[in-house]
Amino acid sequence: MSNEVTKGGQPAVSAPLPPGATSERFVFTGSGSEYFRIWVVNVLLTVLTLGVYSAWAKVRKARYFWQNTRLGGHVFDYHGRPVAILRGRIIALVLLAGYTWAFEFSNTAGIVTFVVLCVVGPWLFMRAQQFKLGNTSYRGLRFGFESHPREAYRIVLPILVLWLLPTIIATLTTDETWWGLLASALISMLAVPWMHHRLKAYQHRRACYGDRTFSFVPIRGKFYATYAKGLALVVLGAMAGGFVVTFLNYALRDAYSLLEGLTVEAWLYGIAAGLGVYLLAWPYLAARLQQAVWASTRLREVSFRTRIEASRLSGLVLKNVTLIVLTAGLYWPFAAIALARYRIECMRIYSGVPLGVITAGLHSMPVGAAGEGALDSFGIDLGV
Amino acid sequence: MSTSVFPAQRFDGQSAEAQHVLLRVEGRSFRVETPDGAVLESEPVRQASVSEAFEHVPRLIRFGSGATLEVEDESGGLARALVQAGLHPSAVVRLQGWWPAVLVALAGLVALIGLAYFKALPVAARWAAFALPARIEERMGEQLLLTLDKHYLKPSRLDQDRRERLTQWFAEGAARVAPGVPYRLEFRSMGKDGVNAFAFPGGIIVMLDGLVEFANSEDATLGVLGHELGHVVHKHVAREVFQSLGVGVLAGLFWGDFSGTAASVPIVLGMLRYSRAFENEADEFSVTFLRASGVSARGLHDFFTRLQQKEERYGVDAIPEFLSSHPPTPQRIERLAREMAREEAAGRK
Repeated sequence: MSNEVTKGGQPAVSAPLPPGATSERFVFTGSGSEYFRIWVVNVLLTVLTLGVYSAWAKVRKARYFWQNTRLGGHVFDYHGRPVAILRGRIIALVLLAGYTWAFEFSNTAGIVTFVVLCVVGPWLFMRAQQFKLGNTSYRGLRFGFESHPREAYRIVLPILVLWLLPTIIATLTTDETWWGLLASALISMLAVPWMHHRLKAYQHRRACYGDRTFSFVPIRGKFYATYAKGLALVVLGAMAGGFVVTFLNYALRDAYSLLEGLTVEAWLYGIAAGLGVYLLAWPYLAARLQQAVWASTRLREVSFRTRIEASRLSGLVLKNVTLIVLTAGLYWPFAAIALARYRIECMRIYSGVPLGVITAGLHSMPVGAAGEGALDSFGIDLGV
Repeated sequence: MSTSVFPAQRFDGQSAEAQHVLLRVEGRSFRVETPDGAVLESEPVRQASVSEAFEHVPRLIRFGSGATLEVEDESGGLARALVQAGLHPSAVVRLQGWWPAVLVALAGLVALIGLAYFKALPVAARWAAFALPARIEERMGEQLLLTLDKHYLKPSRLDQDRRERLTQWFAEGAARVAPGVPYRLEFRSMGKDGVNAFAFPGGIIVMLDGLVEFANSEDATLGVLGHELGHVVHKHVAREVFQSLGVGVLAGLFWGDFSGTAASVPIVLGMLRYSRAFENEADEFSVTFLRASGVSARGLHDFFTRLQQKEERYGVDAIPEFLSSHPPTPQRIERLAREMAREEAAGRK
């Protein structure tokens, strides 16, 4: 089990493992054809119930993916209650609808929504983490997220304000202050790595398993460097796409788009940019940031590594997108399984002491610890 | 009373340590014992919570005590014992376990989504658009015009007389074909690219100088205004908003989790189809409008013919129809040519 080497003959970690040390690989056992059947039934029931079943579908899906994830021969499990998820989805839908439509209605309604989002957003984020982790278990012990609402506001509120600010300014300002809009958009863009790092650090620092809390060493610089390279990839991709589109655009130069509706060249630019970001920048960012984040995360004597690679992730995404389009969406569940398999099986844990010693010292969280009420009230998926 | 024994791993919920145990299914009860026979759990099958059977996953049995059992069951022996003990898989689990049923479900799903997209959604959006309080629709239109005025649109440079003339003629036609429908005609300019006209929610119609100048015929401009009035009368903008909401929800349901990029492709294609249906409806209204106003369709026909010449020169017609938000120009020209033939026949009588 120790001295595990990768395919290329390079050690998976820089130094060989000392005696008594452990390395354990995550294994994913899910299968596309099995998940396909779960997915079809889930979608059918969701459509028949006009979306209400989606909460139950979410639980079935989460159980399938977690129970098919193994570490050291034991499986993970998911315990979320569908009714709590349904409640969370209704809350999220109302907030989303409010945010999307408020400004079209009036500026006052828009500002009210903005304030509401700032007031409830950080708290919702914290509860979402508590719900997600608190409902996940391994070896009979639950994960958790131990944070105080005060901390949630301190961490998440600045991010939320910075994120929403350009939209607010764009709507409220006039032509004369376009530079104000530009400046705020630029600040927001420059702040994206900072925001992302702040959220990841918060998530990983406050997560716990049983009676132990995870720790996270800040890597802000790494986030900025990775984002800068990712941006360079976007620019390169957009230039390649832009070359093709500009050529087409030249051919369409004076084409008139009568009446309302989007122009053709805008469509082409959109598609080219979307593909560039999806196939180049996203896999690069996702792979590199996951590597960095897990390398800085520890659970006492346990450390984590992922060997996820941008090029392989990109190839997988390209294959998935192509097959989803060719099969009119039916490949979707197979794609979800393939992606999960790659991401999960790239993960490993390392420890200086045998796993048996660690598990013997691990206990459940003391009863009455923070966040227990959160498990029953409502669950929100934030996709972060 | 039958008994089956299965080796299992037990977690007590207090510590992470696994304990080798034996699970006995006796009659309608579970009994969990250590290898030397000490009883750890004894609970009726129906009280414990047993996880769904997946191909490569151990069955997870949770007891009232907080303990969990992991039981590997590759051979399906435990599944059979559970059925014997009276614990049958749920209807949903049985449905997804049987391929023919899954394929029937899939066919039903495709039919259902087709029905929702082609029939239910347009009807629901239409209902919602006409049920939407006029005040809200007006507010949305005003807000939109305000935003565009701030960032893109400039005051019209057409001379006052021409604008008043167009407004007057348009009002006469509108009173005939759409009496009582509130609308407001606004003239604006938008630089070189502004060969365009828009209909906003709440009946605001914006005509750009560029279109009036390119058309170079008040008959053609009136035809375009008739088209925009068609959008107003049929509340196309509000319907499109509600339909896009519906298509988004449908795509979201289909893919369970909202994955932005992949889910937006069908939304975009779906919206284009709806958009083309609305454009056809507005074109039809425009013909009615011209007829009622006593204006020949020739002006609009010539306008589209010139537009087509431009398109042919620059290759817009290479864009396939399903990627276009407007009906193909030849189709629109043909419709207007038919109207001209009708006018001629009526004139001869």
